[in-house]
Amino acid sequence: MLALSGIRKTFNPGTVNEVRALQGVDLTIEPGSFVIVLGMNGSGKSTLLNAVAGSFYVDEGSIRLANHDVTKWPEHKRAKLIGRVFQNPFSGTAPTMSIAENFALASRRGHARGLGWALSPHLMKPLRERIATLKMGLEGRLDNAIGSLSGGQRQALTLLMATWLKPELLLLDEHTAALDPKSADQVIQLSDEVIQRDKLTTLMVTHSMQQAVSLGDRIIMMHRGRVLHDIRGAEKKRLRPEDLLDRFDEVRRRELLDESAAAMLNELYI
Amino acid sequence: MTLLIGALIIGLILSLLALGVLVSFRIFSMPDITTDGSITLGASIAAILLVKGVNPIFATAAGALGGAAAGAVTGILHTKFKINSLLAGILVMTALYSVNLHVMGRSNVPLMQATTVASYGEKLGEWLAGGKTIHIFGWPVGAADAAVLFLALLFTSAAGAAMFAFFRTQLGTAMRATGDNPQMIRALGANVELNIILGLALSNGFVALAGALLAQYQGFADAQMGIGMVVWGLASVIIGEALTGTRSLGLTIVGTIMGSVLFRLLVAIALRWGLNPNDLKLITALFVFAALVLPGFLDRFKPRPTSAT
Ligand SMILES: Nc1ncnc2c1ncn2[C@@H]1O[C@H](COP(=O)(O)OP(=O)(O)O)[C@@H](O)[C@H]1O
Ligand SMILES: [Mg+2]
Repeated sequence: MLALSGIRKTFNPGTVNEVRALQGVDLTIEPGSFVIVLGMNGSGKSTLLNAVAGSFYVDEGSIRLANHDVTKWPEHKRAKLIGRVFQNPFSGTAPTMSIAENFALASRRGHARGLGWALSPHLMKPLRERIATLKMGLEGRLDNAIGSLSGGQRQALTLLMATWLKPELLLLDEHTAALDPKSADQVIQLSDEVIQRDKLTTLMVTHSMQQAVSLGDRIIMMHRGRVLHDIRGAEKKRLRPEDLLDRFDEVRRRELLDESAAAMLNELYI
Repeated sequence: MTLLIGALIIGLILSLLALGVLVSFRIFSMPDITTDGSITLGASIAAILLVKGVNPIFATAAGALGGAAAGAVTGILHTKFKINSLLAGILVMTALYSVNLHVMGRSNVPLMQATTVASYGEKLGEWLAGGKTIHIFGWPVGAADAAVLFLALLFTSAAGAAMFAFFRTQLGTAMRATGDNPQMIRALGANVELNIILGLALSNGFVALAGALLAQYQGFADAQMGIGMVVWGLASVIIGEALTGTRSLGLTIVGTIMGSVLFRLLVAIALRWGLNPNDLKLITALFVFAALVLPGFLDRFKPRPTSAT
């Protein structure tokens, strides 16, 4: 279970570049729940995931994950509980190292790394079998540098790496946004399979309304560093892409209203 | 012949330095100038212990550990205090200059009377050959020189193999990933800062080991002996990459050792032909400059693939 309470984060406080990226987020996610995170650019989706992963410490609020208060844990310590796939396919793998070595690294997530051989026979057999199920022809290329693969292949492998040891929480941040449509579909399908099979608690950011309605059991919509809508249960099941677009339009109208109000105030007082 | 053997031995000893530079420069992508100070530190510590009559193997190990500590300090300055890695190296190198003078108590410590690992090798050679000279392909060779060369080759190969093995362990692969993609390995639970500190310690441990052995072979430690050594190491690494390519770690390590030996041989030949020793560092720097710039320069003249994606 993930429980966020009163999370705030301001970047570059007190400067002209000040950004209040998270302005009080309260969110509880039950074990096994698959949550889709929507919101316009800059609404704080990535910042929310980074705050949970520990890329930075939050200014206020607390983060509990799997019965630990992880608010003050450094990122590498939280990694014991968290699997991640980034938007950029280059981010999730070590390019000059082989496929097998990348998985060897992933197979020690959250464990001490000592002087045992990285590539143990215990790893190779299940690895070859698992990679064969991708049907990408990679099982015969385990010794190839992972940097020689396509973005789609790398994202698929990163997903398998992130979930090789079952994480308490899986964080997916627009992990198919940089891929061509066909690869994106493959990776999305694979993600859904893995999440269903292992009943992974998941936060997935996406821009695709189609993915948002067809995947997951809950949608949260972020706006200006807050959770604006929280759609779950029967309502989520009934949801159609049009309904979501309506909600986006509503947000956009509010945005325009804010802007015109600001412009009016400007004219009146400055 | 003696000249040739001398060049080979020094090339082999300095290949340990080149392996250290390989770790910092290629695995962590940080040209680490701590090298210039830590090779002297290794030499100073070993020399002063040897003069006091300490066992040569222990003195050599102590020198290597001193270098590792210096590398760790650079790593801490860089990771914990967020100082640019180049500047962190410069600070530690500068500080080491004073440290080395303190360790030695003066700027030069001769080892003519002391028992060193080199004198072990010489005794072994003369005992095995039963005389002062042996013949290799009909050439008379000092038995002592031949034995030292053989030991240097053996030791360097073992050190290269140990480094290769280390970088295939769980810790070693995590250190390689730290240089390759820190974001990824952090997300997989490794402590990136600690890995950088350990990596620079390992690198400078190898460098100082080279210093300790070099002092014993040439018979003195000197406060100036480290100047330009990082560039020397870079040159060896680059020559090695030209020789064996960079496709696998094992080949790169073998290449680096070969690169160091080849470079030393070329230098010995050039000096023999009348190269002014004062120009050596200038030429080494020019060589590394050319090796860094030429590949990109040549690429510009290659036909490009018409569509890129
Ligand atoms: N490391 C950072 N430093 C400064 N500003 C940041 C940083 N990360 C995000 N921001 C800002 O915070 C806001 C929210 O960004 P983000 O969470 O990336 O939005 P998105 O919902 O598009 O993922 C944006 O205005 C962004 O510019
Ligand atoms: Mg984002």
